[in-house]
Amino acid sequence: MTIAPELSDQVVSELADAVGGQHVLTSKTARYNRARVPAPFPVHRWAERVPDLVVMPASTEEVAEVMRIANAHRIPVVPRDGGTGLTDGAVPERRGIIVDVKRMNDVKAIDTDNRTCTVGAGINMLKLNEVLAPYGLLYPDDPASYPCSLVGGRIGTSGWSLIGSRYGHSRDLVLSFSFVLPTGRVIRVGDGGGPKVSKSSTGYQLKHLFMGHQGTLGIATEATLKLIPKPEAELSPFWAFPDYDSAHQCVQKLAHAGVATFAGAVLFDEWKVDYLRRDDEAYIPQPADVRALVCAVAYGNADEVRAGGKRFMRIARDAGARYLGDEISQGDWAARHDRYATPLHGRTRAGQVVPMSWHCEDSAINWTDLPQVRLEWHRIADDLRRRFDMFDDWGIFAYTSAATGVDYLTEIDIGIWEQELDDESWTAWVQAKKDIAEVAVRHGGSISACHGACRDGEVDLVPVELGGAFDVMLDVKRAVDPNNIMNPGKYLLDRAYETEVE
Amino acid sequence: MTGYRYHEQHTPPPARQVTDVAVERFEHIFEVDPKLMTAHVAQQLFPNWDTLRIAASRGDHLEWMHRHWAYQVISAQELLDEIESEQPG
Ligand SMILES: Cc1cc2nc3c(=O)[nH]c(=O)nc-3n(C[C@H](O)[C@H](O)[C@H](O)COP(=O)(O)OP(=O)(O)OC[C@H]3O[C@@H](n4cnc5c(N)ncnc54)[C@H](O)[C@@H]3O)c2cc1C
Repeated sequence: MTIAPELSDQVVSELADAVGGQHVLTSKTARYNRARVPAPFPVHRWAERVPDLVVMPASTEEVAEVMRIANAHRIPVVPRDGGTGLTDGAVPERRGIIVDVKRMNDVKAIDTDNRTCTVGAGINMLKLNEVLAPYGLLYPDDPASYPCSLVGGRIGTSGWSLIGSRYGHSRDLVLSFSFVLPTGRVIRVGDGGGPKVSKSSTGYQLKHLFMGHQGTLGIATEATLKLIPKPEAELSPFWAFPDYDSAHQCVQKLAHAGVATFAGAVLFDEWKVDYLRRDDEAYIPQPADVRALVCAVAYGNADEVRAGGKRFMRIARDAGARYLGDEISQGDWAARHDRYATPLHGRTRAGQVVPMSWHCEDSAINWTDLPQVRLEWHRIADDLRRRFDMFDDWGIFAYTSAATGVDYLTEIDIGIWEQELDDESWTAWVQAKKDIAEVAVRHGGSISACHGACRDGEVDLVPVELGGAFDVMLDVKRAVDPNNIMNPGKYLLDRAYETEVE
Repeated sequence: MTGYRYHEQHTPPPARQVTDVAVERFEHIFEVDPKLMTAHVAQQLFPNWDTLRIAASRGDHLEWMHRHWAYQVISAQELLDEIESEQPG
């Protein structure tokens, strides 16, 4: 058994008493499998982020007991669910215990009258929706990692949903959850006290606080979720434009149209079109005058989707768009629920194919700032590619986050030849991430719309983005987690404890 | 381990150059131009049936996704045709 000395036999046996010996995993495989997430990281540094051991509890009580043990022995605890998070949240920076919540994956109750369900935090949305299907109900939290991310991770990141412009994002869809604090105390957080309340004004609104903290405040174990009737109909037209500006204008007209079934719109810039023209079957045959793309998506009752859809088609036609046809429109949209199917290869400057991992910066940017942010981001990516032949600019998507078109999840996708990353190129990449975050903040946006912002580079800008609110974050962290056992090292939160010493 | 049973499955149809970086051997199935896969990643040889199976299962996956999210998919082309036919003149 290769665990760190601080995890003494006594600790291991206490954990075994808490969750059962077979659910304390110490093998190299179990630990290395939980040492990383899909976001690229230099392979030669992988060993720095391996946990000492993994526990797989089956209930809130078991999680609480694990927390009590860890807190008593001051051992770091990192919650982990699907492990698909892109800001290293589930990666242990100080070794310690990974609490993998995947065994807590049961559907505990389905309330068809109030349209809610209560589930373990380790359940996956796709699996949940298969259980809900016979009831004609759906849980509409739809990240592009839909088949592999899990409800607890959606809470830990306060995730963003592709169809959030209609149905809301994770924070709107999770009504309440059981939450184990670092001391082992269990609370229920939601809107007010009742587990199935969607709007309350009682007391502080703690639900937001205990979502999106990347496991730095505790562990969600069970959640009550808001359900919708499974939509009768889906519509997802895609259009081509000869230039970015017309596409940029059109996407906002679609968002501003006030169509009730509008579930989202996406803008693809010129760099994205170039990338797709190289590697995506739908766009390889497109003529050269296609320079930007837009799609709009609607879900709901069939008559309403049809009526709203006609309005979209008129708006796009009047904006000079060319409809790309049903096959591309329907196929491309269906592929968006599962981006693991993205071809993970890129090109060297000479055009040769190389294996590449996907990195995605995911800022929230106002519509007015999209054109300029895009140019500044591509300049950063181009500079990196010129210096290191292991980065590839895969272009920008901008997705509406709300039905009003106020802000867009704006992602620049960068291919990284991960096996080639050495210390020099990694340092340059971290600086580029910082520069990308700086552009977002300078334009009045937010560093991250979905994943969180605790990776090297971007995290340095978090105090700049949040200003005085970051100091309150430090105060909250110290109050909730006095011994800094929860996911230490993340979000610069160690500063909370330095201040105390001074 | 035996090889694939039918030898002719190892002979893909001739490639048609569709862009400067992609070729097409089967309808709507594009491949990276082999000349771009010589330095770092070698192209694999797939028997023809496997190439077709992979493409077809991708189609099945997308169909499944549609059914999973809604009971029906509305054709935007139909809506566009309706708009055009409603237009005077
Ligand atoms: C291909 C791909 C596409 C993606 N598309 C999207 C997208 O469209 N929208 C989006 O929002 N994200 C997207 N992501 C990112 C990722 O899927 C989300 O951040 C997701 O919410 C993470 O869920 P998970 O179950 O994998 O969590 P993990 O990666 O296991 O954990 C994420 C964070 O939450 C914490 N955590 C995990 N479980 C708990 C718990 N029970 N209690 C408290 N904290 C916990 C972890 O410590 C970590 O900090 C994508 C990722 C990939 C790989």
